[in-house]
Amino acid sequence: MNKLRWISLIGVFAMLVFLPYVSVYQNYVAAHAYDLLSPGEQRLYDMVEGITSPFVSDPENDLDAIKGTTWSGQFFGVKLSDPLAVASQVSAGRRLYWPFFVTALIPLFATALFGRFYCGWICPATLLYELNTNLDAWLNRLGLRTGHRHLDRRLKYLVLGVGLLLSMVSGSVWLASIYPPAIVGREIYYSVALGGFGAGAVFFVLTLLFDLLVARRGFCRYLCPGGALYSLLGRYRVVRIRRRVDTCNDCAKCNAVCEFGLDPMRDDFGQECNNCTACMAVCPTDALRFTLKVRDREFQGPGHLGHRYRRQQPESENTACVVAAS
Amino acid sequence: MKRRSFLQQFAQGAAAASALLLNDSAKARPKVTTRQRYLRPPGALTEGDFLARCIRCGQCGEACPNRCIEFFSPRGGLGAANTPYITPRSQACILCMKCTQACPTGALQALQRTAEDVLGKVRMGKARVDKTLCLSWQGKSCGVCYRACPLADVAITVGYMEQPTVTEQCVGCGLCERSCIQMPQAIKVIPQHTLESLA
Repeated sequence: MNKLRWISLIGVFAMLVFLPYVSVYQNYVAAHAYDLLSPGEQRLYDMVEGITSPFVSDPENDLDAIKGTTWSGQFFGVKLSDPLAVASQVSAGRRLYWPFFVTALIPLFATALFGRFYCGWICPATLLYELNTNLDAWLNRLGLRTGHRHLDRRLKYLVLGVGLLLSMVSGSVWLASIYPPAIVGREIYYSVALGGFGAGAVFFVLTLLFDLLVARRGFCRYLCPGGALYSLLGRYRVVRIRRRVDTCNDCAKCNAVCEFGLDPMRDDFGQECNNCTACMAVCPTDALRFTLKVRDREFQGPGHLGHRYRRQQPESENTACVVAAS
Repeated sequence: MKRRSFLQQFAQGAAAASALLLNDSAKARPKVTTRQRYLRPPGALTEGDFLARCIRCGQCGEACPNRCIEFFSPRGGLGAANTPYITPRSQACILCMKCTQACPTGALQALQRTAEDVLGKVRMGKARVDKTLCLSWQGKSCGVCYRACPLADVAITVGYMEQPTVTEQCVGCGLCERSCIQMPQAIKVIPQHTLESLA
């Protein structure tokens, strides 16, 4: 499952890198002047033509089928947008533009079903942030100290609220400039098609440093307005992870690996769980499974295969083995 | 004491914000602060509405076949960062209308590549001939801008010695400005937002 998620994340990121090249290729096709291209440009043309020509007969128009980024894009005529984009635009314009609202319905519906899954399975910034977390672990192994602070998770809801309020006051959609997946998508396009990175890349690198120096996945956990919105929308998600207390052994590996600092071992997934399945993958007794429920379970007590459970159940035959080890 | 002063400041800020919210005329309209002359892509709403509708997705630039659409950096004003603009002298708009089809929010109204839509609904600006620079108006015969115009004889007419005259029908695509052989260009597009602010 976790491997599937990495394939999804890498796939989305690869598309974000590939599509600007397709756009530049379409420019060259529209110019009808292959011979006037420089050698580098001809290489780009040949490469994209090689990949796409089996699928399209009229590259100038047929390749318009897939366009855009995860912030807003289109897929074979169906326009899809990030719900945060709709929220920002409604507060900036103070009016609902229905054709645009409709483009966010599929992501909204999916979030109501699966929760904050966008953060775990699609967001291009997540790929970079998770690689950053791996870098953080490697630096720790080398002996370098990095930031592992815990801030208040509710801060990002404040960021969302203030951001929407500022949009309303200023009449401008500026959340787009601080929201990492929109930034990553745009900056990749800028670097490929327009010749260089913009200010957004600087901001994103700053968030990467924030994650390394202050808190693990600090931006996603404490600052991301999109994460706040999806957490709110995914509070009563149908597909969620549940701990099976009879096979849990309280080893806490799930807590250690959870990128969002949640508490699976104590049945506390909450609205912020993005169904990334990292806890499921690491659990040695397969105690974490998907379930179809709209609420988390109440705390079920210590895992039945764990030491604390054995200590609490004196009638169990396992107590004879426990002794003074606890 | 800190909590009290924090609450006081918060209350003041909230009061200011709500005053701005309720008083539309005092609304802090984001301005593009660059001094550079720029056009918005075809079919764009007026500046205030455009900045409120544009979600900075970049799909208009991605769809543009001659890559005339560029995007503002924060230096153009924080409120306008990452919004699209065109610099006609650098690369002018060929009025293919693909950007209007790509825009998901209607910041660029969806238009078709027909004479009716282009002449009726595209208002990027108006070209203006500087007669002191224009070669035709200065005694030589040129006419390049007239030949570059996609709406020749409708948006621009030529008379004696190919002297160009821009009509009311000009949509402001900027192909004339791009093609002008004079340095600096003798014909420039005055952007729609500039015309509106001067009106």
